[in-house]
Amino acid sequence: MDKDYIYIILADDDEDDRLFFSDAFNELKMNTKVTTFNDGVELMDYLNDTNSILPNVLFLDLNMPRKNGIECLLEIKKENRFKDIAIAIYSTSSSEEHIEETFVNGANIYIKKPNDFNVLKKVLSDVVTLNWQYHTSGLNKENFILRM
Amino acid sequence: MKSFNLFHSSVFLKVIFVISAAIIFFIAGVTFKHIVVLKKSSTWVTNSFRINLELEKLASYLKDAETGQRGYLISKDERFLEPYFKSKLLIKNSIKTVTYLSSNSRTQQSNLKKLLLFINKKQNLMSKSIYLMKQDSVDYDQINKNLYIGKGIMDTVRFKIDDMIAVEKNLLQRRQKDYENTMNYTPLFIYLTLLITLILITISFVRMNSDLITLKKANNTLMIANEANSLAEIVGGFGSWQNNLETGKMIFSDNIFRLLSAEPQSFEANEEALRVFVHPDDVELVAESTKNSFNNQLLVPYTYRIIRKDGQIRHLRALERIVKNETKDKIYIGTITDVTDEVFANKYMEERNAELEANNKELTAFNYIASHDLQEPLRKIETFISRLIEKDFTSLSQTGQEYLTKIQSSTNRMRILIDDLLQFSRTNKTEKVFEVTDLNLLLENAKQELAQNIEDKNATIESNVLPYLNVIPFQVQQLFTNLIGNSIKYSKENVAPIIKISSSMVVAQNDVLLPRNKNKFHKITIKDNGIGFNQEYADRIFVLFSRLHNKNEYTGTGIGLAICKKIVENHKGYIFAKGQINEGATFTVYLPIT
Repeated sequence: MDKDYIYIILADDDEDDRLFFSDAFNELKMNTKVTTFNDGVELMDYLNDTNSILPNVLFLDLNMPRKNGIECLLEIKKENRFKDIAIAIYSTSSSEEHIEETFVNGANIYIKKPNDFNVLKKVLSDVVTLNWQYHTSGLNKENFILRM
Repeated sequence: MKSFNLFHSSVFLKVIFVISAAIIFFIAGVTFKHIVVLKKSSTWVTNSFRINLELEKLASYLKDAETGQRGYLISKDERFLEPYFKSKLLIKNSIKTVTYLSSNSRTQQSNLKKLLLFINKKQNLMSKSIYLMKQDSVDYDQINKNLYIGKGIMDTVRFKIDDMIAVEKNLLQRRQKDYENTMNYTPLFIYLTLLITLILITISFVRMNSDLITLKKANNTLMIANEANSLAEIVGGFGSWQNNLETGKMIFSDNIFRLLSAEPQSFEANEEALRVFVHPDDVELVAESTKNSFNNQLLVPYTYRIIRKDGQIRHLRALERIVKNETKDKIYIGTITDVTDEVFANKYMEERNAELEANNKELTAFNYIASHDLQEPLRKIETFISRLIEKDFTSLSQTGQEYLTKIQSSTNRMRILIDDLLQFSRTNKTEKVFEVTDLNLLLENAKQELAQNIEDKNATIESNVLPYLNVIPFQVQQLFTNLIGNSIKYSKENVAPIIKISSSMVVAQNDVLLPRNKNKFHKITIKDNGIGFNQEYADRIFVLFSRLHNKNEYTGTGIGLAICKKIVENHKGYIFAKGQINEGATFTVYLPIT
């Protein structure tokens, strides 16, 4: 992946969060291309277009209008074309129900939105540089939640 | 025990009756036999007398004949021959009678035969002499000779008759003796058996009498028990009925009538009489339930409504079953209890419960949503502050920098408050999944959660082996985290915290802090060497939002220990705190062993 970009997508209805997200990647100066969508419908429209470049890592907010994160997760997991996309849940909530539901439905990692910009940067860089092969093969709940 | 006695006694009486009847039969038999013997012997006596009489008569007829013959021989007068011929006929008859009477004695028969021989001889001789006398030339020598022989024969006849009378007398005597022998012991025998019968009857009378007394006593006890039962029915508001399925007879207790607001025993007791009071909506239910308890002999109580005589609707609970009495009759018994008050109280409670539950749910939801949604804007503020400090802090004036720092610390505190509140509301949530868990593992997880704190304060945690218990795992882990976190937070300045965790098993009544019962608990003690607290506040520290220190001295929300209390209560356990200023604090947790 020397010359190739790492494609990253975020679907989140919160404008500030999208801003923090993009700024964080800008400041990280990694070889990344970040695209953001305002909700699940926009995201799925993009993914379902066969001309679109599929992301390496997809960050999904759970609470979104029109189509929420769980619905997106279910649709993506049904489609074989998307099987290589690593899915990171990116939510304010850290409730057991949400964690359980997304884990069972095949999300790869669960991130609780940090409240410090520097922490956010560290989390995002960790996630992007994570060895997904290794991470997904484990499939246990212990390392599903990313703890800072 | 009493009924067993009575049962015994009835067998005893039956045996006595059978013995008495047998004895009376026996006596009747013996008496009958003796009467027959008596009758027979009297026949014998009469017979003997008649034989003797007839023999005497025979002798006398013979004498008459001889007298007649002699008279003729002397006078040659034909008139003397009249008694002679008459006696001839009489002798013939007499002989016939004797033959008949003595027919059953062989000795007499042979005697009689000989006698007849001689009588014949005598009669022949007499008629020969009379014939000789009638001849023209009378042979007096021959007549004399005949007379002489005749006398000898007559003597023999007399001798023979005497002989026969003697034999008959002998026979009579022997029979008399036999009869006496039989009759001698009979009265004594009858007397004895009668005496025995009398004794037996006396014994059974005494026995019956004592049985009657026992029965009377039992009856008395039963009457008192009945009275007590009737009183209990009034006090308890229930009534009972019995239905003898064999005879179809039904009995209602007085209180059944009172439950129906009727005068006791004011109408006839039968199934229909009860059924007419059942509320129309519950008729089917009652029929179904009755059938059930009838078929399955199950003791399932059921509740139904009735409309009383006075029009009031009441709720009754019925309990029925079939019993068998001593005579093997099947008896269907049941009670009905007026549970109207209970039903209303239950209804009220249910409503209140539902209300409370709804309130509780609302509160929990509010708590959760409030703390959860509050996180969102707060997180933004924090993130913006962190960016502001990083990028533009140096370009701010000194006061500006000071204010920004204060804003940051206030948001931090708010963050902690909201996190703690969220945690508290989660502890309150209804889903409580218990599983048998290794508490050592939960303690280890808690230590890992606090790893940074432990390292910063250089704390030591010593613990002995904890048990496996049926708990809500994440809550108990939270409990450990909060208690250890608490000990680390309130440690003395410049003294490395030492936290000792120990556990043991206790029975509630042996522990002063627990209620007096036999429930078993695991007692887990967490003891530290921190700043401690005044024992006066031992209870207050578990109250939500209550704090013993100024928030400038120690950060904290006053929620942590409230969560601990909540968790322990969720496990039906107990938590106590003991403290002494500057000596340290000890928290004791009791978790039940189930």
